[in-house]
Parts: sequence; structure tokens; C-alpha cells
Amino acid sequence: MRLIVKAVRNKPTRAWLAVGGVATSSLLMISLVATLRGAAHSVVEYIGQDGADLWITPPGADHFLRLSGVIPAALTDSVRTLPGVAEADFILRAFVAVSARPRGAGFRLTLYGVGYRAPSGLGGPPAFEIGHAPRTRREVALDRAAARRLRVALGDTVFVNGRAARVVGVTAGTNLLTTQFIFADAGAIEALSGFAGRASFIIVRLAPGALADTVAARIRDRFPDVDVFDRATFVANSQRETGVGYMPILAFVDLLGIGAAAVLVALLIHALVEGRRAELAVLLALGAAPASLVGAMIREALRLVVVGSMLGAALARLLALVLDRVYPLIPLHFDVADTLWALVLFIACGTLASVTPVARLGRIDPLEAFRP
Amino acid sequence: MTVLLLEGVSKTRGRGAHATEALRDASLSVDPGEVVLLEGASGAGKTTLLAVAAGLLTPDAGRVVLAGRSLAELSPASRRNHRARVLGFVFQRSNLLEQLTAAENVQLMALLAGGQASAAQRATNEVFEELDIGHLASRRPSELSGGEEQRVGVARALVHGPALVLADEPTGNLDSTAGRVVAEALARCAQTRGAAVLVATHDIRLEPFATRRISMVDGRLGAGRAPRGPRRSDSRR
Repeated sequence: MRLIVKAVRNKPTRAWLAVGGVATSSLLMISLVATLRGAAHSVVEYIGQDGADLWITPPGADHFLRLSGVIPAALTDSVRTLPGVAEADFILRAFVAVSARPRGAGFRLTLYGVGYRAPSGLGGPPAFEIGHAPRTRREVALDRAAARRLRVALGDTVFVNGRAARVVGVTAGTNLLTTQFIFADAGAIEALSGFAGRASFIIVRLAPGALADTVAARIRDRFPDVDVFDRATFVANSQRETGVGYMPILAFVDLLGIGAAAVLVALLIHALVEGRRAELAVLLALGAAPASLVGAMIREALRLVVVGSMLGAALARLLALVLDRVYPLIPLHFDVADTLWALVLFIACGTLASVTPVARLGRIDPLEAFRP
Repeated sequence: MTVLLLEGVSKTRGRGAHATEALRDASLSVDPGEVVLLEGASGAGKTTLLAVAAGLLTPDAGRVVLAGRSLAELSPASRRNHRARVLGFVFQRSNLLEQLTAAENVQLMALLAGGQASAAQRATNEVFEELDIGHLASRRPSELSGGEEQRVGVARALVHGPALVLADEPTGNLDSTAGRVVAEALARCAQTRGAAVLVATHDIRLEPFATRRISMVDGRLGAGRAPRGPRRSDSRR
């Protein structure tokens, strides 16, 4: 009944405080998931870029991240001669220390160095915020978050493993959250890493009309000591790998967030029942059915949880916009399904959390209405 | 027809060392149109009697018949529905629900009594007009004076046309003017609507409006007495 629901409703200040608490929990949960999505999205941006149709990898390496095997760079020339291959380039990947001052003085970042056939070879930066690809071994393009953290801009000098290089490009979609990409000519990364003549991966662009499976089989036949993956599989594997490290932490923190929201809702409904004790006693004395009061209390809890969750989701989007403009260190990428799941979880937990305090309604004696 | 009949009702409140015989073999009948004052000191058992009469407390012994139905024979849900339909409450503090306007408070009672929304709205308008409090309809309880709150409380007690109005110290928190207005409203209700009114009070200002006074001491009902002041309606025994 509408009037009963209205009668047991929270006072606006308390209601907004509760909504704020639920919204904060919702914001936390959705943002954490968006952080993981952001890192995975960067992987997709890079690996899924145009032209990277096949990935040739060291044996056992089925994804882009956290594997240290290498293959001979010279293999690239042989791959280029295979039918169905329009273009093939190797990339050499190595973690490098980057600072804005000589000899690594001051703040230093460990970045994901990608050496490729600069400036136009396969495996270069997927997108630029500003600038262009490196053209010499003394030039680099680095991720915008890394540039921000190093406080460097286009034209500045950075020191990569102690060697000076000029920043000629700032890239986008290259933030893996725990580290970021820096792109340089393959020769520069070879010199820095000591992996001369080695490649982390060979990227293949297919000739028009060539089938990925056919060309991949051809490569496997010719070079049995490497693995070959089409783009979709390699992207999926790398996305999976992105989540492996984060998922337990995210799941744990998300559970804490949901738990905090549930406790908040329970506390809120408890306070609502206690704070509305006199009104509830009057309603019971007047003849209101206890079930209708329980329904009204749960509806009130749901109202606050739904409003709070949706507000949290909206705030998460707003936070992403602000972070992107003001402090682009944390990549946030939203998925509608994640947001819907978060809402469903919060509503379910909020409803469950309201059960115990609502049960206290049974302890309210209608005779309390007669107390002066 | 007798609206309220109590026969040999006893009720002990509390347990063990704290147990108190709040009602002892109490018998009482109230007819339509009567305004019965239940007088006694605090702790005499007046509120317990009202609660037993309303079916909010189950007596340990004796029988309660409210508007023709024995409460003991009704299930809790039926008793609640019966209470909502045939009873009106006026409490010492108005007990208006603070989130609702005055009109909504009254309308809610009409709905709890089983009325449809449109009928409840109409009945609310009528009772506000009858009590001359239409100007209070849209105000919230926090915006009303004590007397205004209690007049709205009376409207809530009357809106569904109850057979019996139970009032617990309805003027206890009011000044003389406001108390008189509320007492007049209750007496008028008995006169015009034919409802019975049972008032627990120790406010002598109510006596002129009563048709009968019953004293209560330590849970026992005394003999009924005629009111001391001028009667507002015919006495019924």
C-alpha cells in the first residue's frame, strides 16, 4: 500500500546518507571491474590491431604477457616467403627502466618495451594521442599514462635503461595498469636488452583472400619449433592472462564492497525499524497487516539500494571521464553487463540484508502506541 | 445492540516478581451513542482494559465481544481486520505518522478499514469538513499544534465510521481550549454518528461530555456513575 510505504520511509537526510553509502560501494565495485576491463582492453587494442592476423610465438607461449621465450629473428624473412603472407615483422619485447633524468636518477618506471620495425612495421603503437612513431633508434613513443607519471611531454628526453631517447609520440590504449608500453625501433631494444638476433613474436599480415588457418598450418609445417595463433585466439588468451593476476584480488575486494553495502543496508533497515518503532506500533494497532509492513520496509530498502547502485554506476562513468582527462593512470573500461551484474548483486544482497532487521518487526508491540 | 461487552475479564501483565493483575474480573458493556469515561489513577488498568477491548491483548479469563463478535473466536488476522473496521483509536499523543500529511494519515485509516481509495478520499474530506479542519489537510504533523494534531487524530478515529472509539487520555497533553475542542468532537461523534466512545482519562474537564463515568482502581471496575456536569447526550446504562 502506497501510504504505508510512504509512512515508513526514511527521512531525506538519512536516506541520502544511505544512498551515498551504497553508491560508494557500487562505485568501488564497478570501478574495480572496469580497471580490469581497462587493462584487458589495452591488450585487445594492441594485439588486435589491424594487420596482426597471425602471431608466431615461442613454443608454449599462447599469449602476449609474462612469457620470456624467444625465437630467431631471422625466421621472419623465411615467413615472408610463404604463400598467403603479405607481410611479416618481428617484435622484441623486454622490460626497460625509463626515467626523465640521466642515469635513472629520480622517479623511474619499468615499462613494457616493444621493439619493432619502426616506423611502419607491424606491432607498432595501435593509436597515438599526439605525435608519431619513432623513426630512429634515438626516438621512442610511450603510453600517455607513463608520460604523465614521468612528467614528460612530446619532444622531451627520457632515459631508457640509461640511454637518452626523444619522445616523439604519446600513445593511447597501451596502459596495462601495472605497466605501460614504450615503443622503439627493434634495434634499440636489441641493444638495450642484449637479445640481438632474437624475437619475442613474429606478426603476420595475410595476403588478400588468404585463410588464417591455411597459412597457420603452412607455418607450423615449415617451422615445427614455433606455435601459431590467429588474432582472435591470441587476443582471447591474452585477455584471460590479464585477468589471472587481478581476478582473485578484484573478486576479494568486490566481495568486501558487496559485504560493506550489505552491512550498510542491514544497518539502515535496522535503524529504520528502530527509528520508526512508534509509527510501526501505531500502524499495527490500527490494523495494518505485519506482512504489509515487512513489504514496505523491504521496498524502502530496495529503493535505497537501487538508487544507490545506479548512482554508483553513474559516478563510476563520471570518475572514468575525470580520470581520463585529469589523471589518466588508471584505465577504466566499462561493460554494460558488468554494471547490470553489479546492480543485480547489490539488489540481492540488499534484500537479504534487510531480512534480519525486518524480522525485528515481530518484536514490536502494538501497545507501544499507547505509551505517552 | 451493545458495541462492547466485557464479561469477567482478567489480565495479568508481566511475569514472576513483576507480574501485576492489571484487570480483575472486569465486566462492562458500552452501547452506541454512549460516551463512557474510565477514570482512575495511573496504573489502575485503564490502558490494559482498552487494549483488551481492542483485541491487542488476550485476556487470561473472561470474554470480550466487540461489535457482535467474540474476539477469542477470531484468528489473529480476522481480529486485526475486525479491529480495523469497527474501532477507532485516539491516543494520548496523536501518533500521527510524520511522513504523511494530515489527510493521508486519515485516509490511511480508511484504507486499513477496507475502503477503496476513492471512498477513503471522500470519507476523509467529509470528516475533515465535519471537524472543521479542512485547512489542515495538507500539513504534516510537524506543522500542526498539539490541539490540531489531536483533532486530526480524532478525524482518523472517525473516518471509517467505527462502532466504537477508544480514546486513551486524549486530552492529556492539551491545554484547556484544545482539550475542550477534542472532547466536543468526540461527544459530537457519539451524537451524530451513533458511535460508542470509551475514554480512559483522569481529566475532569471531560466529565461534562460523558454519559457515564466508571472508576477503576487496581484493575477493578467500580459502579457506573452519572456525570457531574451537564450531559451532552442521553445517558445509557
